[in-house]
Amino acid sequence: MNGLSFLLAAGTSNAALWTFLLYTLAVFGLAALSNQLLKSKSFLSEYFLGSRGLGVWAFALTFAATSASGGSFTGFPAKIYTHGWILGLWIGSYIVVPICAMGLLGKRINNVARTAGAITVPDILRDRFRSPSFGLLAVSLIVFFMIFNLVAQFKSGSLILKTLVADVGLFQNATTHVGGWIQGIGFLEGADAGYLICLLTFGVAVIIYTTYGGFHAVVWTDVMQGVVMVAGVLIMLPLALLLVGKMAPPGTGALKFATTEMIAMVPPEIGTATVTINDTTTESLAIQQGDWLRLEDKSSDGPRVFRVTRTTVIASGTNQASEVPILEIMAPLDKTRVLENPANRFRDDLRIIPDSLRLQSYVYGGEEDRNGNGQLDDGEDRNQNGKLDHPRKGLYVTGPGPSAKPKDVNGFLPLSLAFSFFFMWAISGAGQPSSMVRLMAFKDSQTLRRSIFTVAIYYSMIYFPLVIIFCCARILMPGMEGEPDRIMPAMAVFLTENIGAGWLAGLLVAAPFAAVMSTVDSFLLMISSALVRDIYQRNINPRAQERSIKILSYLFTLIVGTGAMLGAVNPPQFLQDIIVYTGSGLAAAFLAPMVFALYWPRANGTGCIAGMLAGFAAHLSMYVAGMFGENGSFFQPYQLFNFNPIIVGLFTSFAATYLVTKCTAPPPDDLVKKYFYQQTKS
Amino acid sequence: MNNTPSPAPSEEFAPVFVNSRREALWIFCVWAVGLVWAVPYCYFTGYDESVDAATFSTTLGIPTWLFWGILVPWIVADIFTIWFCFCYMQDDDLGGEPETASATAETNSDAKGDPS
Repeated sequence: MNGLSFLLAAGTSNAALWTFLLYTLAVFGLAALSNQLLKSKSFLSEYFLGSRGLGVWAFALTFAATSASGGSFTGFPAKIYTHGWILGLWIGSYIVVPICAMGLLGKRINNVARTAGAITVPDILRDRFRSPSFGLLAVSLIVFFMIFNLVAQFKSGSLILKTLVADVGLFQNATTHVGGWIQGIGFLEGADAGYLICLLTFGVAVIIYTTYGGFHAVVWTDVMQGVVMVAGVLIMLPLALLLVGKMAPPGTGALKFATTEMIAMVPPEIGTATVTINDTTTESLAIQQGDWLRLEDKSSDGPRVFRVTRTTVIASGTNQASEVPILEIMAPLDKTRVLENPANRFRDDLRIIPDSLRLQSYVYGGEEDRNGNGQLDDGEDRNQNGKLDHPRKGLYVTGPGPSAKPKDVNGFLPLSLAFSFFFMWAISGAGQPSSMVRLMAFKDSQTLRRSIFTVAIYYSMIYFPLVIIFCCARILMPGMEGEPDRIMPAMAVFLTENIGAGWLAGLLVAAPFAAVMSTVDSFLLMISSALVRDIYQRNINPRAQERSIKILSYLFTLIVGTGAMLGAVNPPQFLQDIIVYTGSGLAAAFLAPMVFALYWPRANGTGCIAGMLAGFAAHLSMYVAGMFGENGSFFQPYQLFNFNPIIVGLFTSFAATYLVTKCTAPPPDDLVKKYFYQQTKS
Repeated sequence: MNNTPSPAPSEEFAPVFVNSRREALWIFCVWAVGLVWAVPYCYFTGYDESVDAATFSTTLGIPTWLFWGILVPWIVADIFTIWFCFCYMQDDDLGGEPETASATAETNSDAKGDPS
């Protein structure tokens, strides 16, 4: 067992299980309470919008928790660990995200929703322009994007849960049994049994409490999840600084020491090797992901240090496995730290064959001046930018940050992408229909004012501290580049074990789980509201009785949730890419029409429909161009002038809405009067 | 083609619309100021090709380019948010709970041309 697994086993086993059980019980308790509310109020408004009665804490934390999906606690820490301090700039626009995402549209969308009697986002667009076709278009796009996103989020939640309970004996036994049961069952064949158990547990829990409790259950669990998330960060920050501080020389601050150490870091090299054992094995032998290997090298000080990045098996009857994925630690200080850490168990029963090593440098920041002449020689310009980027120091403390991805020849965050991301988080955050729904649900203006303030403080306590924590992780846990998505749980276990409080790991690891759960429940409710309210009630049966609506709401939430769960049994590979595509696509389609609908009396349905379609098409075309162009993949979109597709989509959408509106007839006077002018009492 | 909606001349925009629009413009300007400061500042001071451990500048342990480019603006933005939320933003009447949302056996009022 490698060091990390050993720590996980010691630290999280029962604590993690108890944390999860208590957490699930609390979620079901909240769902039961909110179901009581459904009995006393109008079902539809209460089930999908909480009767527009959210107070400050409920509104602020449901908004924050829904916006901060699993990416904030898995993908973001992984990026910090992989690219360094530059993630501070990558996330930089969060300085204004709360005020932008809530303040730009908040008060006005709430007012228009009340005027229209709207419960959903398509409701608003349909009523504002008196256009059923606009409502249906909006529903179609929401369902299209959200279903893909939901499948990706289900996978994300299941993977986090699997990490949480990976070393619980009960779970391991169940995995063995389920693994046997699913043999020979068509679409389950080949699926990871542990993942399936977690998917089923996660899916059933979310579907039941969302279906049973509706909007209030989602909001109340969001509040609890929001508290768990911020508590996790605030506990990890001092622990990380404390442990780094113990390594620092006297008189040097922990963070100063961490940054100074990071200056000397260079990226690992990634590749494969053939690994052998001394004798032929009679049983298959696993080389686990995370195992450490060393190779004596007389030409340098000390051995070369490698880490296995994917579990590989030496088959019975053989004595070697070829093309084992590995990475080599290149920074001397990192090597020393790995070698000196007694928790890192080296697989000295295994040996790397030196001639089999096939290693590649990072595309940006991984070049090596092999002959040490300080000049650019043949084969040394890996990213073909005409410069020798390595061994310059400071890759992890300056921009654009190192990157291994083939497309990142200019580094992780070149200037154009820094602009794109500043645009994306703040502006596209305002264009998410899931955020818009929450903006329709607060009680009054005072609630909005106090909530913007609360979310601003909340985000300040989460995002920059995360950058600090996972920069410290580079010092505390070298060699995690092969499994960066596990850095959050691994760090939680590492920190708590080192202060003798392993039980705390369960709570810390619950933070990313809570983040995914709070996003999934909101999206689930949004899709079912689109089907029940926007399609059935408003287009098929406007006179539907409350009982029918109630049954259909429960049924659609159940069906959509179950469908997404089944979709996640064999989920698409590019999890984070799907989330980015759907999030930016929704913003490209919805932001411009909504802004014009709320703030421009001259806006009309034709212009806004054109803007929605143009934004959707422009954004999609960048991805399609990426697929048929040199990138060769849908999820490596073409970047016009090096900008992210969201910029192209938003620009096209705003321009199309404005131009088409100006070229078409103004809206009816009574609509303008209704939504923009003071209502006179007759 | 007449491009201007024409409600009765005596009528005024609803205060909630006027206030929301003014506040949205403020917010957009704040975002633009954040963009114009943070990205260029970090680019010109933090994208350094030759870093020396002995001279690399940090403030409170954070790279100085990030401290002044993001962390300080973050604090300033929080202070602005407090002022904006508690001193500038208006408490507008957002309207009551409409009947259409609470009635399940409702008819579509707009379809009948009822401006409610």
